[in-house]
Amino acid sequence: MTYDIWDGDDDGEAGRLVPLYILVNGRTTPRNTNLDLATQVIALPADTSRLEQEYREIMNRCSGWISIAEIGAYLHRPLTITKVMVDVLLEQGFLGIGAPAQRKIADRRLLETVLAGLERL
Amino acid sequence: MDRKSVKVVVAGGFGTGKTTLVGSVSEIPPLTTEEVLTQASVGVDDTTGVEGKTSTTVALDFGRITITSDVVLYLFGTPGQDRFWFIWDELAQGAVGAIVLVDTRRLGTSFPAIDYFERRGIPFVAAVNRFFGECLYSEEEIRTALKLDPNVPLLWCDARDRSSSKKALIELVRHAMARLPVST
Repeated sequence: MTYDIWDGDDDGEAGRLVPLYILVNGRTTPRNTNLDLATQVIALPADTSRLEQEYREIMNRCSGWISIAEIGAYLHRPLTITKVMVDVLLEQGFLGIGAPAQRKIADRRLLETVLAGLERL
Repeated sequence: MDRKSVKVVVAGGFGTGKTTLVGSVSEIPPLTTEEVLTQASVGVDDTTGVEGKTSTTVALDFGRITITSDVVLYLFGTPGQDRFWFIWDELAQGAVGAIVLVDTRRLGTSFPAIDYFERRGIPFVAAVNRFFGECLYSEEEIRTALKLDPNVPLLWCDARDRSSSKKALIELVRHAMARLPVST
């Protein structure tokens, strides 16, 4: 697969006519199966000028750490599409990723941190 | 990178105050993200009455609490419709645990949630939402009606009240910690 990102020019007067699934090359699931809706990502320094508008919109939301669920909510995109698009940006080095939500939380120190944080609220 | 997300699931039947609880402790007004359910789930989900539909949108409400500069807690309300279990699976995977809201006028609406977390061994606390008025039942009566395991904390809360929702969260985290194996 040479192009992971739609690189055509279709921004006519009527606006975009390409369905979102084309933008993600028909992918239905992210390659990185650790991506969770609470996983946080952040923009890395990169030239985003050649990115499609939909991808740039995501990048614009990621100047600080933000979760996939938040990106989907702010951009009104279904979660699965958001996940796949974030995955594409991760693969291409536009985004950095935080620790994935663990499969089994067995991290006492993390829970202690959370508890202390809640008590301070 | 050392940026960590922690998830808590807020469950309970339709109208038990899930979004209210999320909103009362979240540092942002609750956000809504959507998952689109397509044909692939026909046969898995009950599509009776909506046979002509090729997709259904399931809305998820959530909020966030910044714990430290590295750790953010996300609170996800389960979808109103109980049948979208694959979304519950996604929410519950890796979660600290769940707060199951209970409306004493309709205890039955909380059964599916209790059953779900019990079967998977996911820590949860049951929180009776007082919002619905004075509760006529004792803790014992509610425990019996819900068939709650004696180890599961049962607490009273007002989902509209920030400190009350905060207490429910604290109780859940303590409960989850108590269930961890003794650290080595």
